[in-house]
Amino acid sequence: MDNERDVLNAAVMAGTILLQSGAEIFRVEETMARITKAYGVDSGSSFVLSSGIFITAGNEKEEYFAKVRHIPLSASRLDKVAAVNQLSREIEAGCYTLGQAVAKLQEISDLPQRKPVYRILASGIGSGCFCHLFGGDAADCFCALLAGLVLYTYIIFVSSRKLSKIVGNISCGALVTILSVLLYTLNVGNHLNQMIIGSIIPLVPGVSFTSAIRDIADGDYLSGSIRMLDALLVAFCVAIGVGLVFILYNRLTGGGML
Amino acid sequence: MITEVLAAAVGTVAFALLFGVPRKYYAYCGLIGGVGWGVYRFLVDFCTVVEANFAAAIAVVFLSRLFAVRKRCPVTIFLISGIFSLVPGAGIYWAAYYLVINDLERAAATGYQAIKIAAAIVLGIVLVFELPQNIFRSRKRRAERKKRDTN
Repeated sequence: MDNERDVLNAAVMAGTILLQSGAEIFRVEETMARITKAYGVDSGSSFVLSSGIFITAGNEKEEYFAKVRHIPLSASRLDKVAAVNQLSREIEAGCYTLGQAVAKLQEISDLPQRKPVYRILASGIGSGCFCHLFGGDAADCFCALLAGLVLYTYIIFVSSRKLSKIVGNISCGALVTILSVLLYTLNVGNHLNQMIIGSIIPLVPGVSFTSAIRDIADGDYLSGSIRMLDALLVAFCVAIGVGLVFILYNRLTGGGML
Repeated sequence: MITEVLAAAVGTVAFALLFGVPRKYYAYCGLIGGVGWGVYRFLVDFCTVVEANFAAAIAVVFLSRLFAVRKRCPVTIFLISGIFSLVPGAGIYWAAYYLVINDLERAAATGYQAIKIAAAIVLGIVLVFELPQNIFRSRKRRAERKKRDTN
């Protein structure tokens, strides 16, 4: 029966979009189960890890089917999570035929990301605001804003395309520190530490940290640990990047500033 | 403090954009971020940083679940952006800073502090997620649901 195969393929497609966009493990499993049930496949069973989906079906009445998808970690896209979630509710309510649902999923999968300009601006504004929270004055916030802009331009066009996660984050941490030290020595900003804290905020692994906790709390220990490891790794790398520049600066100035 | 709450709200919206939150939810994300920081700032004068973070995390997660249930969308949307103002990014920085200038005592102290804050946030998230989904629904929806279940 072709139909069962198509249903499971649609379920895997929905699961793939969710997992890639940073949804929790139980949401991925639940959504796939909802879709298979809604289209009348009762024997569907899935196992989801943070980097892959395994789905099988088959019993006396239904044809055997198995599929394994490897899913690399990528940037979080909460708009896609919301869209698939909405779609799965509508599917459950019986609003779509299978063909329509697959078309909708394809549409969601192709949702464009915000333009780089907006993301760069957002990073700058976020850095400036958070600099204020950690005790920076107006001049510091301005410096953090500049550093945030440059940082995200670098992330979009260089580090996320060409560098590994480890080297990328070290270089990002270093870049921000270099910029802040530069602005500080030019007397644009007044508090070096607050400037740096504000501008490293876009690098802080808040997403993997939060998802890791959610997964562990749901009993998905393996995926939760992987995500927590990811969060720790990123945090360490950023810290190393900041530290390296400090050490270098110390050597160059003979320990004047620190 | 008012400017700080505003900054937290605007900062949260900025990060919501980075994570691709749909535009119609920006206001809620900003509100959650602002409230989270407000709770933290208000309490930090009376108790320790860790306790204040715990209370702020509870506020953030509670509001996130409330909006998620009312707006019928995944809680992740609000939670990830709202929790951002609490995640100890500054702690990580200070730990690295003191480590580099060889002040190991303060490096360990700030590092432990960051871990304790993270643990407080974890506890806040886990506790609020134990609450039953029902209490977040409005009275009207609860009644509708009851009617549907009994039919």
